Amino acid sequence: MMNLKQKKADILQDRFGLKTTSYLSAGTADLPYDISERLRAARMQALSVRKVTKIETASRVVNSGGSAALNWGAYDGLSWWSRIGAVVPLIALVVGLLAINSIQDDNRAQEVAEVDVALLTDELPPAAFADPGFVQFLKTPH
Amino acid sequence: MATEQELSDFLKNVEKRAFKRSIYHVRDEEAALDIVQDSMMKLAHHYGDKPLAELPMLFQRILSNTTLDWFRRRKTRNALFSNMSDFEASGEDGDFDLLETLEMLTSSEGTESAQDATERAQVFHEIEAQVQKLPGRQREAFLMRYWEEMDVAETAAIMGCSEGSVKTHCSRAVHALSKALSAKGIKL
Repeated sequence: MMNLKQKKADILQDRFGLKTTSYLSAGTADLPYDISERLRAARMQALSVRKVTKIETASRVVNSGGSAALNWGAYDGLSWWSRIGAVVPLIALVVGLLAINSIQDDNRAQEVAEVDVALLTDELPPAAFADPGFVQFLKTPH
Repeated sequence: MATEQELSDFLKNVEKRAFKRSIYHVRDEEAALDIVQDSMMKLAHHYGDKPLAELPMLFQRILSNTTLDWFRRRKTRNALFSNMSDFEASGEDGDFDLLETLEMLTSSEGTESAQDATERAQVFHEIEAQVQKLPGRQREAFLMRYWEEMDVAETAAIMGCSEGSVKTHCSRAVHALSKALSAKGIKL
């Protein structure tokens, strides 16, 4: 009996509360123009602050991207194709460097050989026989 | 995460009620505007990335805390707390019968549409005046439960008290309002 009475009181209380606040809502809907405008301006200002928060969030994502790249080797989630795709450019770079080194060595040897050929096939100047080193060279058996 | 448009719509929906609630508490239009603006800024700045469903509770809590901060600052500045009466216990109710009054007040539902605009405005102002006379905690619980349409658990979480306390505050607020309004001859 008491329980029923309490429930009835609760229902009536809720109805009264909602009815009272419906009057408040109706009366509040038409606030003076200046108040409404100031509230609108405050809302706009609040939203502009949120934009700054969004930019901070974006920089955080970039940072976490960087750390993800650094930690790449620790994860096994990447497929073989992804790994091959990452390794092939490195191999190409090393092969390219070796090829460049080899070509440069060949070019240098070629230049030296040309100088030697020019020296050996040229006529010997008479002044060369005045050079004691050259005379010694001629005396040395080959 | 609530989009900017959702946040804007949410703030637009609550700003007028928040302003009025602040006025009931601080009784100063400029201060109420400042409180609402501060609360909206704090919500957008700190919780703008929260889901839309979490915003109402967060905003109500921020609004309550900002209002409390305003009272603290004012108390410090003036060394005088003008709303001490808010914390006094409500007076004796004598042989007032709440159920009888509530039944009487809510039984006239069908006639509401017949009231003219002037009469509605008078009722609104009288309700406002009586709501402002409620003790602070009762007013807060009443407005959150019935105006912000929060349930008892949410109201208790925002007010930082037990659900039983919220029920008691609401019951006392309804009791006081219905008594005051019926004394003024107002039927809702």
